[in-house]
Amino acid sequence: MQPALSVDNIIKYFHDPETIQVLKGISFDVQPGEFLALIGKSGSGKSTLLYLLSTMDTNYEGTIQINGTRLTGLKQNELARFRNEHIGFVFQFHYLLPEFSVLDNVMLPALKLGKQPPEQIRAKALELLYLLDIKGHEDKKASRISGGQQQRVAIARALINDPAIIMGDEPTGNLDSKNTKVVFDIFRELARERGQTIIAVTHDDEFAANCDRVIEMVDGKIVGE
Amino acid sequence: MNKAMGVNNKIAWVHLTSKIRQLIVAVLSVTFGISMYIFMNSFTSGVNDAQAELVFNTMAHIRVYNDLPKEARQLLPVPTGSDTVQFISNPKRIQYTEGIKNAEPIRELLESSPDVVAVTEQLNENVFFHNGVSKVSGSLSGVDIDNENQLFHTAQYMTEGDWYELQRRSDGVILGTGLADKISAQMGDIISLSTSDGILKTYKVVGLIETGSASVDKSRAIISIQAARQLLSKNQSYATDVLANVRHYNDARTTAQRIGASVAYKTEAWQEGNSQLESANVLRDILAITVSLTILIVAGFGIYNIMNMTVNEKMREIAILKAMGFDGKDIVQIFLIQSIAIGFMGGLVGLLLGFIISAGVDRIPFKIASLTTLPIAYIPTDYVMALVFGLLTTFVAGYLPARKASKIDPVEILRG
Ligand SMILES: Nc1ncnc2c1ncn2[C@@H]1O[C@H](COP(=O)(O)OP(=O)(O)OP(=O)(O)O)[C@@H](O)[C@H]1O
Ligand SMILES: [Mg+2]
Repeated sequence: MQPALSVDNIIKYFHDPETIQVLKGISFDVQPGEFLALIGKSGSGKSTLLYLLSTMDTNYEGTIQINGTRLTGLKQNELARFRNEHIGFVFQFHYLLPEFSVLDNVMLPALKLGKQPPEQIRAKALELLYLLDIKGHEDKKASRISGGQQQRVAIARALINDPAIIMGDEPTGNLDSKNTKVVFDIFRELARERGQTIIAVTHDDEFAANCDRVIEMVDGKIVGE
Repeated sequence: MNKAMGVNNKIAWVHLTSKIRQLIVAVLSVTFGISMYIFMNSFTSGVNDAQAELVFNTMAHIRVYNDLPKEARQLLPVPTGSDTVQFISNPKRIQYTEGIKNAEPIRELLESSPDVVAVTEQLNENVFFHNGVSKVSGSLSGVDIDNENQLFHTAQYMTEGDWYELQRRSDGVILGTGLADKISAQMGDIISLSTSDGILKTYKVVGLIETGSASVDKSRAIISIQAARQLLSKNQSYATDVLANVRHYNDARTTAQRIGASVAYKTEAWQEGNSQLESANVLRDILAITVSLTILIVAGFGIYNIMNMTVNEKMREIAILKAMGFDGKDIVQIFLIQSIAIGFMGGLVGLLLGFIISAGVDRIPFKIASLTTLPIAYIPTDYVMALVFGLLTTFVAGYLPARKASKIDPVEILRG
């Protein structure tokens, strides 16, 4: 089976304030439907790696493939289109658009993709919001709901285009244990029942322990699985 | 409109409406710029037109007349050998013919030109006026009564008597008020005048006229052109000047050039020999455009400032949009739509406000010369240009921040 994500010998430097090598030859594959946790000490390079995988940072050596598409070397606007269609991103700070309604936040990536009529997108967004248990808040401004709810809205937004991979940088880092469990259960279910691939950076040992697979990074290298 | 454009519109709309006060300030700055542009230009054109109206009381837009030959003809061939020296002492330019013998075809040519609105013939001659012992030099204009009135609205400047009396009496004369004073003539008086050929003839004063141009009023007497031809024993289509007005006085030069090409006489637009008037008009126009464009540019800086602030406030949102897959072009569009919307709203209100201000100033009393209120011209081009310049400024003022927004690196913002 073709891997959902294939990373080959990734090397990344930062040059400011001085040149340091943050990623020192990272290679791994992730299979479709796998729920993978990326762990490691602070400063080991997890976020840096995730931003490369998300195609937002293109300044690296090595190659990245998602679902067989080689992303290394593509132009910015091509990457934007790819990201829109195939990658869902969940940040530690839920990062919704505060002036838009909860429903609009979820719908925007699909409206941008433009593959379905707005009514259909709306219905799908509502369905996702119900799935994530945010019924009755659709028309509120995104800034007017609780942190846990915002994080779930962000997950709904990441799911709207049925992406090949969902990436999360400490998606539960800002949540209490109850909400952490809710989000974890959602990811678990998405991977198991919808076959969605999930890569989550986490500092939460319990969260990591319950994933399909754990990759640990130390000082820019993968040390163990 | 494609679908991506639709989302970008939606986002731009939300950005615009989420800060109503900021939106109003931005719109007002455009409104102010555009209304000032319209007012400044309408006022200047009004002043120019008022000036022109004073001048064109007595002067036509285009004049055809018999000029002195331009250059003395070569009298003798230039000697070829170096041992010959040629002297021609005291050469003179001699005008072989005077006036226009047959003015009819020229009048018809002018009348057939599409932008010419009125044509008349004049027979002008320098004469001496006598009334008792006083003898004063002046000019006698033989005019076509109807056409003259059409060009110069002469009838409306009559202070006494009736303009059309000239048509009824071949011995009637209308005097400029200043001239009448000089020779102490009054309505009904009999005056006599003599031509340079020594012919003496008497006329009855049937009217007095005051055009507002003092030099003309002090020296000119008017009789009918038939009477003038008789006096000077000229044929029935003789004239010294054929005069024409065009639809707008600024176009006189092109029309004069076109007609001049097929006329054997000198065809002159009013601008020649009145450069002081033309240059005053042009300078006023330049001043108006400079001031109004400056105001528009200041308004542009206002928009630039507001859009820049918006972009700085929305760094995070822009990064999120990019993370979701909006590309640089989308971001430029989102912010450009906002500034263009501001430009359009401000522009439309500005057109209305500019019109209202102009109409208001048009009602302010101002009683000097022939004016009764401050002069305002309502010219559609001013309104079109105001909107064009307004949109152009907002476009440029919006594009720079929009481009800056599109260059934001989402990773830098999102990693915190
Ligand atoms: N923009 C940058 N410029 C220079 N150095 C950077 C930059 N971003 C990260 N680094 C450095 O790269 C290294 C890895 O950072 P990264 O954010 O990937 O760590 P991390 O594993 O995500 O840590 P944490 O668990 O604290 O989030 C760190 O040493 C950091 O100082
Ligand atoms: Mg990190």
